[in-house]
Amino acid sequence: MSMIIMIIYYIISAFILGMLIWNFIREKKSTNDMLLYLLVMIPLILRLLRVK
Amino acid sequence: MYTQIGIIAAVMVLAYVAAKAAKASVEASMLAAAVAGGLAGAFVNTPPAAELARHLVEGAFTYLDVILVFSTATIFMAIVSESGGINYVVRGTIKSFYNLRLIALLLLMIIILIPGALTGAGSVSLLVVGAPVAMALSYLGIPARKVAAILFIVAGLSAAAPPVNIWAMILSAGTAIPYVGFELPLGIPVLVLGTFTVLFLGWKKEGTGDKESALEDMPKTPAGMNWWRVLLPFLVFFGMVAAYRLWPFSTPILGLPLQFVIAGLVAWLVSPTKINILTLSRNTIQRLLPLLATMIVVGMLQQIMTTTGIRGLISFAVISTPLILLFFSLAVIIPVSEGVLTYGGAAIIGIPLVWFLDSIGLHATVAIAGLSLLWPLGDGLPPTALIGRLSVMVSEYKGTYWTFLRSTWVPWVVITIVGILMVVFSAKLDFLVKWSM
Amino acid sequence: MKKERNIRIVLIVVMALVLIQAGIQLFQHRHYQIPLVAGPGVTKVTNLSDYCEGLKGTQADTLVFFMEGKEPGGKLLIIANTHSNEPAALLTALIFLENAVVEKGTLIIIPQFNHSGSRHTRPGDGYPLYFEIPTSWGSKQFRMGNRDASPLDQWPDPDVYIHYPDRQLLSFLDIRNTNRTWPGRANGALMEKVTFAAMEIMRNEGVDLAVDIHGAETMFPVTNCIVAPEKSMRIATMTSLTLQAREGFDNHVEPSPKGFRGLSHREIGDYSETLPFLLEAPLPFLDQPTGPKTTALLLDGKDPFLLKLSQKKKLFVPYDENGWPMDNRVGQHCSAVLELLQQYSRKNPERAIQVLQVPRYAEVIEKGVGYYYHDPAQTEKKNVYFN
Repeated sequence: MSMIIMIIYYIISAFILGMLIWNFIREKKSTNDMLLYLLVMIPLILRLLRVK
Repeated sequence: MYTQIGIIAAVMVLAYVAAKAAKASVEASMLAAAVAGGLAGAFVNTPPAAELARHLVEGAFTYLDVILVFSTATIFMAIVSESGGINYVVRGTIKSFYNLRLIALLLLMIIILIPGALTGAGSVSLLVVGAPVAMALSYLGIPARKVAAILFIVAGLSAAAPPVNIWAMILSAGTAIPYVGFELPLGIPVLVLGTFTVLFLGWKKEGTGDKESALEDMPKTPAGMNWWRVLLPFLVFFGMVAAYRLWPFSTPILGLPLQFVIAGLVAWLVSPTKINILTLSRNTIQRLLPLLATMIVVGMLQQIMTTTGIRGLISFAVISTPLILLFFSLAVIIPVSEGVLTYGGAAIIGIPLVWFLDSIGLHATVAIAGLSLLWPLGDGLPPTALIGRLSVMVSEYKGTYWTFLRSTWVPWVVITIVGILMVVFSAKLDFLVKWSM
Repeated sequence: MKKERNIRIVLIVVMALVLIQAGIQLFQHRHYQIPLVAGPGVTKVTNLSDYCEGLKGTQADTLVFFMEGKEPGGKLLIIANTHSNEPAALLTALIFLENAVVEKGTLIIIPQFNHSGSRHTRPGDGYPLYFEIPTSWGSKQFRMGNRDASPLDQWPDPDVYIHYPDRQLLSFLDIRNTNRTWPGRANGALMEKVTFAAMEIMRNEGVDLAVDIHGAETMFPVTNCIVAPEKSMRIATMTSLTLQAREGFDNHVEPSPKGFRGLSHREIGDYSETLPFLLEAPLPFLDQPTGPKTTALLLDGKDPFLLKLSQKKKLFVPYDENGWPMDNRVGQHCSAVLELLQQYSRKNPERAIQVLQVPRYAEVIEKGVGYYYHDPAQTEKKNVYFN
């Protein structure tokens, strides 16, 4: 059971990462927002890759 | 050592000021400070240059779980809001209690308190219930400046309210004190101070208008919305929280993010209106961006300040301050640390402070509770001013930020006095902890 | 439009470079193997998962070394790296592992008890990734770990951690802290399985004494001490007095609080016949008011802020310009373990445990910790384990 829950957490992380990427692509004007989207992606990417 | 750390700190401050001068956002300016501090530190090998990237990235993980809670909780509340649930509740409050001002104000206060109490983030309160509550308050004849002030103070108190108080959790984890017994030491002052705030700022009806015109102006709730549809997702959420408390050894550990996801799915299923979950999630993450980015950058800043020794120097300064002066200075250093570092302030100043207070015979749990009342005040202070900015935004107050902040001064001072007295007399208030357990 | 695209590309490239460089270092840290040399006393090596099925194939599984003596006697379990950011514990355990010769009784050693935590770095606290101990054959490199297990191995945390079986509420983080999950359970969270497996060793093997080795801040009241529950108190007190009288260092006794659950010194005693002891040596690196968190601070414990605070009487241990070097901390632990054995054996001659070839405090300080470590490259392969 705990393994299934852990997998769901990876799915939740991937979902939020997906939303960040989607917003990053849609962002056309604000360099600041582009930077912030990329910053928030950092831990999610490394968690999904099981690095950290 | 003092000179070396002082120079690195100066470089960080300069980088921050320069970035702000170049019109960068608060988050980008804090990132500039973290990177500049890391680079300056690398000259003296604290941290080694080859490890600077690792420190920044590792720091970004400090509040990853908090980010997941923020994201999922806000998506959950956004679904409830999109389904018309929040409007339904606020409308119901106005409809039933417009002429019973005391009850209306208290109910609206409770509505703001709940999301923050559940998530530990006052910003979640404002993001999900802020706008309709602000509207209801303005229909009760409260001017926008005071509405913003009420939202700011009560949302701050909601973050301090039990069961989830992130400052207390950080301090408990960092000082090996169990996160237990906080219900009354936090719950009582939050309710008393919240009541004082809404009554002080909201009791006087300053505008004209009546119940009918208010209801006429308020957004309509979709057909088919009823109390069950509003309450069911919350019952599911609290059911899961309660199930773990009641049967901890046979209930799987779901964690707050998954609990919010499940509650969100229930809210989505029972919504009388069709909700596009992808678009709603995307928009929610977009709205949350400054908050999420702040959590990332604060983690980076915290890591760089530790690896360069700045955090240690700050801790040293706090602990070296004479006791009486320390008690008085809490009024300034606690909110300012929050304004600069958000939750990082609790880790950098709070942990050594609580250890020190514990070692001189004060009661750590009550002292932490007292300090947790002061930290949210800092969320109105620049550079971050997270809750303050959101309060102004959702109340649609058009004046300057300082005018808004000035109107919070009476509750601010009262909360400060209560918080500091709780710290000073923590040993005498230990019965609150015992009664909570 | 073109400018916007260029900015986007630059941001992505910079972020990717930072992510790749940091990612590689963090990945290497998680997968770095420390060679452990099994000394002449080692007779059997098992895994913790042999005592709890649920640990098999996880990063929480770890090596358990048995050193069985020539004569039967009592049994001692040494638990190190319960908190992997308190490395004197591992260094002490390795001195026993590589050098001890057991004459009587059995020594059981778990060098990396929270194995997952040892492969996890601590976000926000700016630790180095590794530290090195100089030896006559070069430097021996160790991972610097974290207090809690990695979320890669146990995720998510609950909103509040409810301790089994006492139902005490603890901080959510503590469900990954193997000094809050005792006595554990076979079907609980991964770290509860780790402590459960250790309890099974103690119950199944009939362990007489368990020593859990730690390090603590100089500003934390429970430091430089032996923590013991009521049933271990007599031996702890005798040990403390003897160490003070014969070896000249302070290691006072702290009673294990009954109301604070999940700690080894409380639960081992309550849920088995074993006598538990928890050793704390000062670890200035963990204090908040210190300068940069460098490997030098970790190893020599010298810090100007702490020195100033010591002069203002704000520390709980004596502290001067010499700091608290690693050799002193490890030496203190070695002597404390040996003295506990001696005191126990004196009281229980039929369950005596006799260990030779392990240095005491003065000797470790004189020769340095690294003196006692053997070169894995020069050791027979079958005696080198990676953990």
